[in-house]
Amino acid sequence: MTNPENAIEVKNVRKKFRIFYDKSNDLKDRILFRNRNHYEDRWVLNGISFSVKKGEAIGLIGHNGCGKSTTLKLLTKILYPDEGSIAMQGRVSSLIELGAGFHPDMTGRENIYTNASIFGLTRKEIQKRIEEIIEFSELEEFIDNPVRTYSSGMYMRLAFSVAINVDANILLIDEILAVGDANFQKKCFDKLREIKSRGTTIVIVSHALGQIEQICETSYWIENGLIRESGIPKIVHDHYLKHMEDKRTEQLEKQHEQPVLPAPELPGFCEKTAVRMGTQQVIFTNAELRNLNNQKQYIFDTEQEIKIFLQYHAEHPVNLKGNFGYGIFREDGLHCYGTNILIETGDYIPIQENGEIEITFRNFLLPARYFLDIAVHSHDGIIYDDIRQVLSFVISSKKQDIGVCRLPSEFSWR
Amino acid sequence: MIKLCKELYAYREMIFSLVRKDLRGRYKGSVLGFLWTFINPLFQLIIYTIAFSFILPSAIEKYYLYLFVALIPWIFFSSSLQGGANSVMASQNLVTKIYFPREILPISYVTSCFVNMLLTFIIIFLVVAVSGVGMNLQAIFCLPVIMLIEYMIALGLALLFSAVTVFFRDMEHILSIITMAWIYMTPVLYPIETISNSEIQKLFYLNPMTSVIVAYRDILYYAKVPDFSTLLIALFFGVTSLILGELVFSRLKKRFAEVM
Repeated sequence: MTNPENAIEVKNVRKKFRIFYDKSNDLKDRILFRNRNHYEDRWVLNGISFSVKKGEAIGLIGHNGCGKSTTLKLLTKILYPDEGSIAMQGRVSSLIELGAGFHPDMTGRENIYTNASIFGLTRKEIQKRIEEIIEFSELEEFIDNPVRTYSSGMYMRLAFSVAINVDANILLIDEILAVGDANFQKKCFDKLREIKSRGTTIVIVSHALGQIEQICETSYWIENGLIRESGIPKIVHDHYLKHMEDKRTEQLEKQHEQPVLPAPELPGFCEKTAVRMGTQQVIFTNAELRNLNNQKQYIFDTEQEIKIFLQYHAEHPVNLKGNFGYGIFREDGLHCYGTNILIETGDYIPIQENGEIEITFRNFLLPARYFLDIAVHSHDGIIYDDIRQVLSFVISSKKQDIGVCRLPSEFSWR
Repeated sequence: MIKLCKELYAYREMIFSLVRKDLRGRYKGSVLGFLWTFINPLFQLIIYTIAFSFILPSAIEKYYLYLFVALIPWIFFSSSLQGGANSVMASQNLVTKIYFPREILPISYVTSCFVNMLLTFIIIFLVVAVSGVGMNLQAIFCLPVIMLIEYMIALGLALLFSAVTVFFRDMEHILSIITMAWIYMTPVLYPIETISNSEIQKLFYLNPMTSVIVAYRDILYYAKVPDFSTLLIALFFGVTSLILGELVFSRLKKRFAEVM
């Protein structure tokens, strides 16, 4: 550990897997084909370095097979690096395999003991936590029934409750926030935030980019065993999504042997950092921010009215119905607000050949630099056009209030 | 090494819970349940008594007891060896998904076999008392010592073979042949004195289990304190086996998850 403030330090880690063409571990083959070289070394990680400060949360993203899960397994010490070093400080708990070692014939309570013991808890520590675990799992009535009588949702709930109540210093999570119903998911997420606020370091591997954006300070995009980009989650994710979209288009083109979709280019009204996606059946042709006098403006005061002015064009508008929406992100990736026509009016709107959309809102955001995202979707969810960070704008204010947005407050006193 | 001990101590609850799970799971669902731990050896003994009294009478006095006091420790050893060798492979889903000191798997398997043997010893004591052989208190004090030594030998070999089996699956089947032959290379069914050639008899003591079985029999059948040299040889094998086992295990364990 070169920096005592770090909880995790990963230095130049490389990892290879031996891929056997014809895997056989038996004696005959070993003797007979001693010199036959029927395997190949595949490097999954090609030199990854990063460090995580105590109490920080990071996300690892990337397409399947990019090496993100391998990285997590190295951190868990299930696998060991071939080159480089990994240093960790504190007790590590992993939400990689939920319910490891559950025995179907034993009761929920007994399984809590077994499962928690696998995380290295002593009997005393488990006894101290058991009420909390049972309460969190919401399985009070069933806790003394054998686990085989549980539904799969109950099973996962119990497993998650154990794993998250281990009180680790470092928590490693692989695609787990898909546990139980929406209510329980929210509860898990809140618990995760609580754990984080207590100073636990968290590493998440997930395809649910939104979840990473909500909880992590930094996101690492891993590709071909290397870190391709790291930084504020929202920004890294936009680049990642754009990259995936490009690849998808490329594949489609290959399939059809001709370009199906023109690669969406960035028109003049966009910021240089903007990212465009979608089928481009409907395209935005203009986007402006205006004040109520219809003048272009990019610096607003808090509590000033802002108008988003959009123009679009549709090649074949016949019978197209669509949903227009926007989102506002702060410079550091915080999702401040988002809505669309469907949410506001309860219906989709017909798409013209050339149309205009005006959205007016009273801005309560506090001083900072913000980005605007705009999108148009079909009624069945096809993305026609989606431009992330199409515009940036700045909010200023003379008042000294702090936070994300202004909650107009009245003080009264007696 | 010290680090490993510390870690194993921190994970002690896992060992307990795996042992508990194993002991309880063994007779799960049967009507008599845990009682089978006692019924099994009891009937084994009854069958031997009948067999060796009427069908195949032996020259050795109270041969059933002679056999029984050696056979129970042998069963502990052979099941530790065979099951222990498979213990890492059998917990594939744990090893590939979660971190814990891998040594726990063979340790808890061997320990559960050991606990099983201890329980069977209740029957042995009963039989020894009933048969009128009598007990030598001094000798009985040696019993925990030899048990501990046997535990060390069994654990060392379980560590060794459980690690090797992961990379070389044939080991499991090779081991079952080895244990089959091993029982005849150990004086379990016959007295060591049967080997008349003293040179060959010495050769038998190269087998770690020979001195162990001889010691058990001295204590329980002859009711005498075993020779100090016998215990010393056994202890030597115990320590060697444990060190060798852990040496191999710690070298191989890092790649377990990759080849499973």
